Amino acid sequence: MEHLESAKMILQARGLSKHYGGVVALDSVDLELREGEVLAIVGDNGAGKSTLVKALTGAIAKTSGSVLIDGRETRIDNPTDAKAAGMETVYQDLALVNEISITKNMFLGREIIKDNVLGRLFGVLDFVKMDAKIRDLFEKLDIRISDIYRDAEAFSGGQRQAVALSKTVMFGKRIAILDEPTAALGVRESKMAMDLVRSLKDHGLSVIMITHNMQHVLNYCDRVMVMRLGKVAAVCDVADVDGDTLVGLITGAIEKKVGR
Amino acid sequence: MINKKSSEFVSVPQAKTSGWQILQYQFMQIWQVLAALVLIYAVFFILSPAFRNIDTLLSIFSQAAILAILACGTTVVLISGGLDLSVGSIFAVVGVVVGVLIKEYQLAYPVAIIGALVAGTCLGALNGVIQVVTKVPAFIVTLGGLTAYKGLAELLGSGKDLSRFPDGFQMLGSGYFAPICIMFGAALLTGLFLTKTRLGNHAFAIGGNAEVARLSGVKVARSRIYYYMIGGMFAATAAILEVSKLNFAQSSRGVSYELFAIAAVVIGGTSLFGGRGGVGKTIIGMLIMQTIIVGLAYLGVGTSFQRIAIGAIIILAVYWDVWRRQAR
Repeated sequence: MEHLESAKMILQARGLSKHYGGVVALDSVDLELREGEVLAIVGDNGAGKSTLVKALTGAIAKTSGSVLIDGRETRIDNPTDAKAAGMETVYQDLALVNEISITKNMFLGREIIKDNVLGRLFGVLDFVKMDAKIRDLFEKLDIRISDIYRDAEAFSGGQRQAVALSKTVMFGKRIAILDEPTAALGVRESKMAMDLVRSLKDHGLSVIMITHNMQHVLNYCDRVMVMRLGKVAAVCDVADVDGDTLVGLITGAIEKKVGR
Repeated sequence: MINKKSSEFVSVPQAKTSGWQILQYQFMQIWQVLAALVLIYAVFFILSPAFRNIDTLLSIFSQAAILAILACGTTVVLISGGLDLSVGSIFAVVGVVVGVLIKEYQLAYPVAIIGALVAGTCLGALNGVIQVVTKVPAFIVTLGGLTAYKGLAELLGSGKDLSRFPDGFQMLGSGYFAPICIMFGAALLTGLFLTKTRLGNHAFAIGGNAEVARLSGVKVARSRIYYYMIGGMFAATAAILEVSKLNFAQSSRGVSYELFAIAAVVIGGTSLFGGRGGVGKTIIGMLIMQTIIVGLAYLGVGTSFQRIAIGAIIILAVYWDVWRRQAR
């Protein structure tokens, strides 16, 4: 307990709210992510999980609340701010552009420019360097995709998710935020994706992961935060809960409980 | 360990993608429409004896040239998921502007050309800025531009004699050689822009999925404005060439050129919905269109029937694209 108590807070959110007109999608949510942990966020559809992630990462404008990185308040108004703060996000259904290649997807928004006059004047891209980086990374993560010049559309759901997740290793300096990384994946592909999530931790990333799969929470995560109706219903160590308790917390059958 | 071993057998990652592989990949994208062009040319070649000479071939290319240059810009805009119906009117404005600059202001023609290019680029920028600021759809904004720029061209050009330009200026658009060279130059530049540069690559990402692009940190709004500026610049280039070729400028030029440009882009196989396409396809698309127009003329088919044929081909081209997508 003691060491967890003293573990560094890498990311904190205080009083995060998001209102859509009169609808309160997110109601003063506090969140803490400790260095090196995998934090699961669970909750029913419409509980505000995705809204929380989007507000946290600047994908949508928050109504109120603040975000702290390493205990310092940090302005995150757009996805670029979040990336600059070391956060890399894999949004559900919004991870890859179907129409462009794996290489272009991996480096979208952060392309490597040729280190010469052409690069500086016209923004000419250095595909050789980008390809090499991807191949290195894929080898390190044991992702078996070789034809990275093909459009993302040509790949299976599992391969696409692997690409999206590997992006967090390539660029996520410290924090990976994953919105349902196994949604729409088969059993074998899910396992592949979750093993990859686990390896993010080995690569020095702290992870926030939205999921609907209680088994994934119990097997792969350190702590879990339960959301209900836009609020935090519970936060606890995974070691302290079982699947039934989690389901009870999600549905509201078990009342609010905030522990570790 | 076992896992690592097996992966070596499953797929051996190549050190890097070779240039040859990429060429093959690009050819696979383009061969069908190229085959269509050759086939259509062959049909007219067989049907009409008069069609069988090099002059006809050159006139197809030179007639395609001006519209193809305009269509280079349209290709960029369509790939980025935009639409510009106003380029025909930008064409009219720029034609008048270059005429006025040379005839009324007595500017040296290279200076006038630069001024006209700037004018076209600015009108394109205006299209983009209005869309980004007001969030009114491209169709409406550029439909407004179509009418408004037309009015602007009339205001600038009314009652002026804009003809008989200096020899140097006339050289640009006359004959076969210069326009065809400029067309290939424009296509090459556009191709390099789309495939090699960051901004060009972002056009595909934005056209494919603008929200993913935004979340990835792409400056979507700013890039869109640039694409419309490129559209305006190519419209200006085409207009300058036409003024040079005809040796007069008139505010009534350029009518429905935007539709011909869009048609060529679509016949070439660039998606109307953004995210896919290329400028090589557009050039081939324009050549297909001109081959049909010239070929039908040689067979004695009137312009009305030519238009009907072109209309049918546009629908066929999009149908083919839709069918291919579903087959995947």
